Amino acid sequence: MDRPTLDELLEAVSEFVEREILPTLQDPRLRFQTLVALNALGIARRELTLGEALKGEDRQALVSLLGVEAPLEELLRLLAERIRRGEAPPGTEAFLKAHVARKLTVANPKYLERYP
Amino acid sequence: MREALGSALEEVLGPGEVIRLQRLPGGASKEAWAVDYRLGETLHPLFLRRAGGGVIYRDTLSLATEFRILQLAQAHGVRVPEPLAYFPDLEGREAFLMRRLEGESIGTRVVRRPEFERARKALPQAMAEELAKIHTIPLERIPFLPKPAHPPWRTALDLAYQDLDGLAEPHPALEWGLRWLLEHPPNPRPLVLVHGDFRIGNLLVNEEGLVAVLDWEFAHLGDPREDLAWPLVRAWRFGEDAKRLGGVGEAGPFLERYNALTGQDIGEEELFWWEVLGNVRWGLGALKQARRHLKGEERSVELAVLGRLAAEMEYEILFLLERHG
Repeated sequence: MDRPTLDELLEAVSEFVEREILPTLQDPRLRFQTLVALNALGIARRELTLGEALKGEDRQALVSLLGVEAPLEELLRLLAERIRRGEAPPGTEAFLKAHVARKLTVANPKYLERYP
Repeated sequence: MREALGSALEEVLGPGEVIRLQRLPGGASKEAWAVDYRLGETLHPLFLRRAGGGVIYRDTLSLATEFRILQLAQAHGVRVPEPLAYFPDLEGREAFLMRRLEGESIGTRVVRRPEFERARKALPQAMAEELAKIHTIPLERIPFLPKPAHPPWRTALDLAYQDLDGLAEPHPALEWGLRWLLEHPPNPRPLVLVHGDFRIGNLLVNEEGLVAVLDWEFAHLGDPREDLAWPLVRAWRFGEDAKRLGGVGEAGPFLERYNALTGQDIGEEELFWWEVLGNVRWGLGALKQARRHLKGEERSVELAVLGRLAAEMEYEILFLLERHG
C-alpha cells in the first residue's frame, strides 16, 4: 500500500478529531463520547504497533505453561478450562499477571502505573 | 408522549401544564425523562423512568417492582427521590414518576472537584447510615421479592459463570478469581434487602453531602456484605485509589458506623470475598456491555471500549488475590 501507512491514517483521524472537532463541541455527552472515541483510536494504534509481539509472548508462555502447541485462542481456552476444573498448572498465577498486563499495555498502559 | 403524560400528571398532581419534556441520554432498555410541570404558581421538577423499546436486561427489576421498593425505602427513612406515581401504560409502556432532586451523581466529579470536599468528608458516615436503614427494612415488608433458593454467594457465582460462558471468549484471569471464590465460600449472614448497586456514581451528592440513593433496579434479597463491599471496588474509586471507600474515605470507619447502627459485627476482612466478587462482576459487566454493542442491541463506542477495559478488573483481581496470599 502507498503512504500514509495504517498507523499514519489513524493518527491523521485522531489529530483531526482532537484539534478540530473536540473544541467545537458544547454538549457534555458528545464531548465525553468523542474522548472515548479518541481513546478507542489510541487502543487501535497501540495494538497495531505492539499486538503481534504481545500475542507472540502470550503464546510462547502458554506453550511452556501447558506443554501443548496450539493457536493462542485455543491455548487460552485450554487454560481457562483447567482453572475451572481446579487443575491449574504451577506458574498459572505468574502467567496470568503477565498476560493481563500485556492486554493493558494495549488497552490502558497508564492503568498499570497505578499499582506498586 | 407530552399529551399522555399531561393527562397522567393531571390525575396525580392536578390540572397543570407540562412545560418541559426532555429525554435524557443513555439507557436503551429504560428511558429517563426530565419533566417540569406547572401547577398554578408552583413548578414541579419531575423525573420519569419509562421502559424502553430495546432489549430488556436480565436480572433487573420491572419498573413496577422498582417503584414499590422505592416507596418502601422512603417509608423507612432512606433518602431517595420521592416516588409519586406508577403508570402501567404510558403510551404503551410502563413508567414511574419521581420528584427530581438537584445534585451531582457523576463519580469522577464527586471524588475530585473542590466544591465537594465537605461532602467527601461526610460521605462515609452517610453511606453507612443509608445502608443501615436499607438493611434493617423488615423482610416481611418485601414479600414481592423472591427468596433466594441458594445462599447468596452461591447464586452470585452461578450467575457469574453463566455470564462468563455467554461471552464465548476465554478469560482465564476471571476463571482464576471465580475458582478462588468457589474454594473460599463466606460464612453465612442473615438475608437483608440489598440495594445491589450502592456506590459513588449512584448516589446523588451536593456540597454538604449525600442527597439521595439512586438506581434501585438491582435490588434483591441477599447478603449485606455485597452492598458493603461494592463501593470498595477499585473502579468505583474513580482514580482516587488510596481512598478505598469509593475514592472518598476509608472502609474502617464506614463499617464501624454501619455495625453500630445495625447491631451487626461484620469484620473488615469479611468484605474481601465480596470485593473480589465485585471486581469479577464488574469485569463481566464490562464485557457484557461490549457485547450489547457488538450484537447491535445498542451501538456505542463507549460500550465497545469497555470490552478492552475489562482487563483492568482482571488485573485488580490478580492483585487482590496475590496480596492476600
